[in-house]
Amino acid sequence: MSIVREPLLKLEKITKRFKSLTAVNGVNLEVASGEKLVIIGPSGSGKSTLLRSINLLEEIDEGTIRFEGVEVGYVTRHGKRHLDRPQAISTLRAEIGMVFQHFHLFPHMTVLGNVMEGPLTVQRKPTDEARSIATDMLAKVGLSDKSNVFPATLSGGQKQRVAIARALAMRPKLMLFDEPTSALDPELVGEVFDTIHTLADEGMTMIIVTHHMGFARELADRVIFMESGNFLAQGRPEELFSAAQGNERIKLFLNRLL
Amino acid sequence: MNVSRNYLMSRAFAALFLLLALAGNSPAAMDYDQLFRQSGDLMAQGDLEGALKLLRQVPLPAAGEEAAPFVSSRMQAARIHAAQEAPDKAIAACQEVLKLYPDNSEARNFVAALQAQLKPRWHTILSDIVRFLPALAKGTIMTLLLVFCTILVSPLGGLLLALGRISTLRPISALCWFITWFFRGTPLLLQLFFIYYGLPSLGITLAPLTAAVIGLGLNYSAYLGEIIRGAIQSIDHGQMEAAKAIGMSYGQAMRRVIIPQTYKRLMPPVGNEFIALIKDTALVSTIAMVELMRAADQLFNTYFNITALGLAAAIYLLLTTIFTFIFEKIEYRAGIYEHR
Ligand SMILES: Nc1ncnc2c1ncn2[C@@H]1O[C@H](COP(=O)(O)OP(=O)(O)O)[C@@H](O)[C@H]1O
Ligand SMILES: [Mg+2]
Repeated sequence: MSIVREPLLKLEKITKRFKSLTAVNGVNLEVASGEKLVIIGPSGSGKSTLLRSINLLEEIDEGTIRFEGVEVGYVTRHGKRHLDRPQAISTLRAEIGMVFQHFHLFPHMTVLGNVMEGPLTVQRKPTDEARSIATDMLAKVGLSDKSNVFPATLSGGQKQRVAIARALAMRPKLMLFDEPTSALDPELVGEVFDTIHTLADEGMTMIIVTHHMGFARELADRVIFMESGNFLAQGRPEELFSAAQGNERIKLFLNRLL
Repeated sequence: MNVSRNYLMSRAFAALFLLLALAGNSPAAMDYDQLFRQSGDLMAQGDLEGALKLLRQVPLPAAGEEAAPFVSSRMQAARIHAAQEAPDKAIAACQEVLKLYPDNSEARNFVAALQAQLKPRWHTILSDIVRFLPALAKGTIMTLLLVFCTILVSPLGGLLLALGRISTLRPISALCWFITWFFRGTPLLLQLFFIYYGLPSLGITLAPLTAAVIGLGLNYSAYLGEIIRGAIQSIDHGQMEAAKAIGMSYGQAMRRVIIPQTYKRLMPPVGNEFIALIKDTALVSTIAMVELMRAADQLFNTYFNITALGLAAAIYLLLTTIFTFIFEKIEYRAGIYEHR
């Protein structure tokens, strides 16, 4: 079957501009099913914008997005590109999980409520089923005992793990992590990375933006170095980090992180 | 002054006989004896003024002279004055006695009793309250009906206006902006006049209650709309993104994620608005509705009695206090998830 060889996600010539600023500049990217891709790069290089473009939180100016071989997100009407119907966009987003730097848990819902919310409201599953899915996901991130508390009572690491469980409850085919540990105290970073590792081991396809090179080296099948909206270099972690010796800009960036 | 005349009379006679018995056979006593008897006769005939005149003839006792006739005459006069419902004169007579004999307990007690009688405006106020309360209670019920109708209608109207104003559809946001601009920018009184007295000329005649609820509802929707819009826009943008990221539509995100988070922030300003509303319902009295203000006004004009207005003020205060209390409770409940 040709579907098997089809990459899960395929971006072609993605460009996103904010007024005169080009945040993402004609980027091409293929992500295979099960691949773990890490994107690194200096602040303001367009990493977040790229992730947000993938799940259509940003409307791109040019390029196409294919998910499971199907072009998604945009339709052409009267020769002009438009965002697809809200229904279609929601359907795509439901298949792509996203984890934010600042968690964005729903503060007025309990931990269980946060994780149930997607299955319940978006997928319209019966309450019992939604609850059992949520309970499973909380067990997976190791927070079964926090089911009935409100997010305000959790540590940053726990909040991020709940956010991961919330995304997983939708049974996504692709997970996007945008600096998932950048808002955490150093001692809380490990528990979140462990959770992501578990997912990786289960074969989840993921794109992770992070500044933790050790984590990137351990986890990534491929690392992309991004700067000024372009992919400057990419390759297997050991390749990229050694090739970096030859590239002044990457070397500079990596040295600053160490 | 409801002191029984008969009671005072009998006290007067008793005192008189006692005096006669005591006065016995002193030489001057004969004069006084006759004087008191004559005054007693006059009183019996109902000539209180004549009796007073006689009693006044008893002079201040000279040094060494007996006090009893003087004291009796003045106390008797005091009783007559009290019976005539002239407590101030009665007190003055007692005080003549007290000037010479500050320890005279009869005079002192009588003064105290008279002063107690002078005070009870209480009685009148209390009976006024009892008299006015039914009409004011009816007015209060109408006021509460208006308040509740407006509280039912205006949050919905406000929410629609708020969502309309933040909508990306230009015609809708423009329309909602206009409605808000108009109803916040003109006096409520004018809006009520327009709806009740003005619309009939366009062929729309409304009952006072309908006109009142429409006027108050639109006006308060406009105010609440701005408050709700502010609250929605104050919610962290990340909340909308997180909701969208799990596949929620805009409507679902608003309903499930954004709007529930505004409740706590909404309560203090909305509570303020609803307290203002309780008082603003008074304006409805101008369009032929008998609510609390109008009821108080009618009583005031009928009886020219300020108690009616005071009572209405007390009822308004009671209502606003209850509302304040309720809203504080709701605010606490709405924000319970923020407690650590
Ligand atoms: N909503 C926006 N409006 C205007 N400029 C934006 C917006 N979002 C991002 N940018 C700009 O786009 C560039 C890329 O931003 P971002 O994708 O957040 O970078 P990164 O995540 O790599 O730090 C930056 O220069 C940033 O200032
Ligand atoms: Mg970023």
